[in-house]
Amino acid sequence: MAAFKGWHVLLLVGTLGLLAIFYQGLWGNPNFIPPVIVETPAPEVTGPDLYKGTAVSLSDFRGKVILVNFWASWCQECKLEHKSLLAIKKHYEDDPNFAMFGINYQDKDHLAKDYLQVHGNNFDHIRDLDGRISIDFGVYGVPETFVIDQEGIIRHKQIGPIIGDVYSDMIEKVIDPLLNGTAGIVGTVSSS
Amino acid sequence: MRKSFVLILFFLIAFSGVSFAEPQDDEVLQGRIKEVSKTLRCAVCQSESVWESNATLAIQMRKIVRERLIAGESPEEIRAYFVGRYGDYILLKPRVRGLNRLLWFGPFILLSFGGFFLYKTLRRWASKPARTEPVAFSPIDDAHRRRIEEELRSYNE
Repeated sequence: MAAFKGWHVLLLVGTLGLLAIFYQGLWGNPNFIPPVIVETPAPEVTGPDLYKGTAVSLSDFRGKVILVNFWASWCQECKLEHKSLLAIKKHYEDDPNFAMFGINYQDKDHLAKDYLQVHGNNFDHIRDLDGRISIDFGVYGVPETFVIDQEGIIRHKQIGPIIGDVYSDMIEKVIDPLLNGTAGIVGTVSSS
Repeated sequence: MRKSFVLILFFLIAFSGVSFAEPQDDEVLQGRIKEVSKTLRCAVCQSESVWESNATLAIQMRKIVRERLIAGESPEEIRAYFVGRYGDYILLKPRVRGLNRLLWFGPFILLSFGGFFLYKTLRRWASKPARTEPVAFSPIDDAHRRRIEEELRSYNE
């Protein structure tokens, strides 16, 4: 049997390495795209309030922990998480350092209002009239939720509905630590 | 008559491909929008560029490209804006950096390995001595030759 030479080993290692990369790829979520926006300053966005029509800027709430949820009346998964959003707002009702906004994405004014009438509402909503706010946040689809810290840095991105464990994690592992000043320095991303 | 004229006009406009949603740009600007949009991936489509897609997100992205070009931004600055939000995924042509280098140079590296492997193998085959010595040519014996010659002669006669 011929002895193994250096280039034999190199070829073997290269092939095995490639196979390992492909094998690992089999178990990943093909729709998950690592977001680059986490740990960067939140975009300065302004849009009209869904009900009053007055301009609302997220930067006006600098110094607070802000939860921004992108939703639409035509989105089925948004309906799944709507109660969770109402519960989050209720949970932090008395905390002056917490603010929460819904960004109504690619929707019609009256359909958005009907949706909130049916499913309930306890927080403010901004209309994303030309999709600019969504693109500024790098949104692919709805629902997506961002948590911005007191310094205006995006600290968490949630892709998909806030339901089940995601709901408790959102409160206990993301918002509470930010409000208490015990959050880690690295932003988090989760997908459901 | 007037009604048919209005109807014809309506169909001409509806199917002419003219969009009144976006302002009409001169050819140079359109060309630049196309140039930038063709390098950006429609994030909600399957392997379609922002220029080719009619998805709402792609239309909105084209508008942003247009506005930023008018504002004087370079194609590179516009691409950087989208990369800052969506990552390298938004570029149809990955940048030559980090792990992306594997995409760019991987095939050539593999090809070189393959070529080297083939070269070594062929060289080894060529340099190996033949396993068996060629058998020495054994001439036909005289009796056999005579018989053949006789048969050929009788055939010619």
